Amino acid sequence: MHQQTETTLHRSVVRENPYQPHMARIVRVYNMVADNYLFTLRFVDEQIAGTFTHRPGQFIMLSLPGTGEAPISISSSPSRPGVLELCVRRVGRVTNALYRCRTNDLVAIRGPYGNGFPMEELMGKNVLLVAGGLGIAPLRSLLWYAIDNRGRFENITVMYGARTPQDMLFRDELVSLVGRTDLTCLLTVDEDPGGDWKGHIGLLPQLFDYLAIRPERTCAAVCGPPVVYRFILKRLLDLGFTKDRILMSLERRMRCGVGKCGHCSVGYKYTCIHGPIFTYWDAINLPEMI
Amino acid sequence: MKILKLEKGKLDLFASVVQQFGEVHAPTEHEGKFSFKRLNSWSEARLDYNRTVLPPRKYFLPPRETLFKYREATGYVPATEDLEKRVVLFGVHACDIHALNILDEVFGKGYLDPYYLTRRKNITIIGIDCTPDEHCFCRSMRADFAETGFDLFLKDIGDHYLTFVGTARGDDMVIATGPLFSEVTHSDIVEYKRRSSQKCDTFKLDLEIRDLPEIFELEYQADIWEELGEKCLSCGNCSMVCPTCYCYDVADEVKLGSHDGDRVRLWDSCLFATHALVAGGENFRKTRSSRIKFRFYHKQRGFVAEYGRPSCVGCGRCIEACPVGINIVGVINRLRGVEHASTD
Amino acid sequence: MSRPNVGIFGLTGCAGDQLVILNCEDRFLHIIAALNIRDFAMASSDNDSACDLDLAIVEGAVLSRRDEEQLERIRARSRILVAIGTCAVWGGIAAMDGDTDRSQLVRDIYGECGEQFDTTPARALHEIVGVDLNISGCPIEEEEFLSGISNLLNGDLPIAPTTPVCAECKMREYNCLLTERVDMCLGPLTLGGCNARCPGLSIGCVGCRGPVDDANLESVTALFMENGFGREDIARKLRTFAGLRVVAHTLSEDES
Repeated sequence: MHQQTETTLHRSVVRENPYQPHMARIVRVYNMVADNYLFTLRFVDEQIAGTFTHRPGQFIMLSLPGTGEAPISISSSPSRPGVLELCVRRVGRVTNALYRCRTNDLVAIRGPYGNGFPMEELMGKNVLLVAGGLGIAPLRSLLWYAIDNRGRFENITVMYGARTPQDMLFRDELVSLVGRTDLTCLLTVDEDPGGDWKGHIGLLPQLFDYLAIRPERTCAAVCGPPVVYRFILKRLLDLGFTKDRILMSLERRMRCGVGKCGHCSVGYKYTCIHGPIFTYWDAINLPEMI
Repeated sequence: MKILKLEKGKLDLFASVVQQFGEVHAPTEHEGKFSFKRLNSWSEARLDYNRTVLPPRKYFLPPRETLFKYREATGYVPATEDLEKRVVLFGVHACDIHALNILDEVFGKGYLDPYYLTRRKNITIIGIDCTPDEHCFCRSMRADFAETGFDLFLKDIGDHYLTFVGTARGDDMVIATGPLFSEVTHSDIVEYKRRSSQKCDTFKLDLEIRDLPEIFELEYQADIWEELGEKCLSCGNCSMVCPTCYCYDVADEVKLGSHDGDRVRLWDSCLFATHALVAGGENFRKTRSSRIKFRFYHKQRGFVAEYGRPSCVGCGRCIEACPVGINIVGVINRLRGVEHASTD
Repeated sequence: MSRPNVGIFGLTGCAGDQLVILNCEDRFLHIIAALNIRDFAMASSDNDSACDLDLAIVEGAVLSRRDEEQLERIRARSRILVAIGTCAVWGGIAAMDGDTDRSQLVRDIYGECGEQFDTTPARALHEIVGVDLNISGCPIEEEEFLSGISNLLNGDLPIAPTTPVCAECKMREYNCLLTERVDMCLGPLTLGGCNARCPGLSIGCVGCRGPVDDANLESVTALFMENGFGREDIARKLRTFAGLRVVAHTLSEDES
C-alpha cells in the first residue's frame, strides 16, 4: 500500500514536475533596438509546441543550460500559436547568455505562469493599453489578442511612449497600426535626436489630450518603468477610472514561478501566482508594491 | 483516533522495531545544543531535548538539493536520488509538526512540489511531548498540540507514553511491535488531563494572535521597524532555524568545460540584501528595516491572508538564534502596546 | 569548446591562492584539459610572458611600483582579469595598517636603508585596473574557484556569493559563538562560501573573506562591547583583513 504511494510520488518528480523545463529552439533572433531583441522560440517536442497556450500577460521561465533561469513575459498572442515571442532586454546573467545564442540554438522553457489579464473582464469593454519603454512587452500579447478577436472588444486604444524613435520597440508594427480605423494607436517619443520621427514628440501622458475616454466602459492596462506609473495612474484616476479597472503588470525577482520560493512576495501576495497582473487597488493595498 | 499506551522502559525495544520502517533519526546532543541526526545507537537519542538547532524541515527541504541534471543529449532530467530514502524522525515536538503542516500548505497546494511531497510520504514522524522553556510560545500560536501530521505521537503520563496513532503506517508500527502496547485505562486518562493542564501553566511567554493582521497594518509605519533595522545583522540566522521559512534560491552549476551541470536549490532568507533584487538592478527591499519588517509581516499577517493562520508556530528558535536579541514576542507585544514581564 | 589562453600570476602575497589551484589534485587535470595555461611562474619554468591572454588570474595585493607595473602589463594583455584571494580583492592583511605613513614604517623596521625600498601602501587590484571578477578568501575556496572558472568558460560571470558566514554556520548546526558570547565571531559581517569552516572548529570567524553586502558594523560592535570586549580589541579584530577595515573606514566617513 505504502509502496504504491511512494512509486506514484516518485513518478510525479519525473512526470508532473512543475519545475521541469522543456527544450525549445530559437527560430528567429530579431534585433529591434540596441540591447533589446525579439526572440522567437518553438518547443522541440511537437506535442508541446502544438498544445502550449497562454493568457496575455502571463510569463514563462526561460532556462539557459548551465547559466540559469529567469522570468520573461510573453509578447506574442495566444491567437497566434506555434511559437512564442519574447522581447528581451539584456540586463542579467540569463538574458546575457540568451544574447549569445543564435538561430537554431536550444534553450528551455516552462510555464506559462501567472494570472495574465482577466480576459473575461475585458471582453465587451473598451480596452486602453498604456505602455512606456519595455512595458510594451507584456501588453503586445494583449494587443494582438484583442485585434485577432476584434469583435469581442469595444474600442481598442494603444498609447506607447519611447525615449527616442531608435528606442521604440515593435516600431514598424506599431507604426503600421497608426492608420487603422478599427483601433487607435498613439505613439510618442520623448525626444527625436535623429529628426526623422514623423509622429508625436512629448511625454507619454500628453497622448491623453488626443482622445476622449469613457472610463465607466473602459479597462486600462498599464506597464512601464516607475515614472510611467507615477504619471499615468494619476491621469487615469483624474479621468474617473475606478482602481479595479486599472491593471498593471509588475516585475519582481522570481526563482520558481509557482508560488514557492518566496522572492516575489509582496505583502501577502506572490507576484508569480497572484500576479504579475494586479489592479491598482491591489497595488496600493500591498505594501511596497509600486 | 486509536490510542494505546507504551511502557517507558520498553521504548528502546520499540525503537529497534521501528528501524524496519526506515533509518531512525532523533535529537542528539552536542555541547548543550541538540540536532536531529541518524542514531548509531538508541542511547544517543535525547528525547528530553528543548529544541534542535535546525527544525525537521531540513529533511523535507534540505539546505541544498539537486532538482535537475542537465546533459546536452537529454536536456533537464529530474534528480531523484535520496527521494525514496525512508527515514523515521523519532521525537518531533508538536510545534515542529504544526510547522510541517504549514509547509504542506505551501508545497502541497496549487503547484505541487514533488520533491517535498515525496519526502513527506517517505519520512515517518513520531511525535513526543515536551516541556516549555523560556523561549517557547507555541501555546500562543495554537501549536502546542498536534492533531494531524504525525504517524504516532507519544505523550508522557509517568511510567507510560500515551500513543496516539495518526496514520495507517503508525498503526503498522504499533502492530509490528505487537505486545509492547496496551490498552489505556481510566486512570491514564485522568493523569493525561492533569499533566496537560499543568503544561499550560508552565509557559513563560505569551502573546495574543487575534487581530494581529489588523495590528500589523496599523503599525506598518511604526518607528519600531527602523529601530529593528538598525539592530538586525541580516545574518539570516532566524530564517535558517525557522521551521516554516521556505524561501529558496535556484542556481545552475555548470561542469568545467561543458554546458552540462546541475540545477540546485539552496536555502535563502528574506533578510539577505539581494532577496528582492531584480536583474535590472532594482532592489525592492533595499534597507534592513524593510527586510526585517517584511519577515514579520509575511509570517504574522501575509500568511494569515493566504492560509488562514500565521506561519509562526512559537518554537522559540529565532529568539534563541538571534545574536542581537531580537525577540518576536517582544516585537509583537510592543506593536500591540502590551508589556509582558518576560519579553524584554 | 576551445581552450582559452590563461595566465596565473602572483603579486605581493603568500602564494596560498595559487597553491589552492595546484592543490585541486585530480581536478587540476580537468583544469589543464579546459585551459591552455601559458604563463604560470609558480608551476612552470616554460612560460610565454608576452602572449595575449583570454584570462588572467591574479593573486596578491599591490605593494610596490613593480607590482603596479606588472599588474598593468597583465591587464593590457588579458581579456578577462580575475582577482583571487583577499589580498587581491580587498588589499588583505598588508592593508590592515593602510593609514599609517609608509616611509615611517620602513624606517621603523629597516632603519636608514629602508628608504631605498620600492614600497607603496597596499592596494587591491581594482584600485589600479579594471577587474572583471573577484574571488575572495584567505585562501580562496577550491569549489568557488572551479565554479568561477566553469562559469567563465560557459560565458557567464559567476553569481556573486551573498550569504553571510552565519547562515552557512546555521545550516551545519554548529554552536553559535555569538549567542554563547564567547568570541568576537565576525560571521554576521563576513561573506560566506567557506561553509563556516572556523566556527565549525569553535573558532570565531576572522572575516577573511571580506564583508557581506549591507554589513551592520555598528550593531556588531555594540554587541561585542555588550559581551565585554574592549573597543581596541574590536578595532584590531575588524581590521585584520582589510575588507572590514574598508567598511569601517566608510562608516566613520559617513559619521563625520
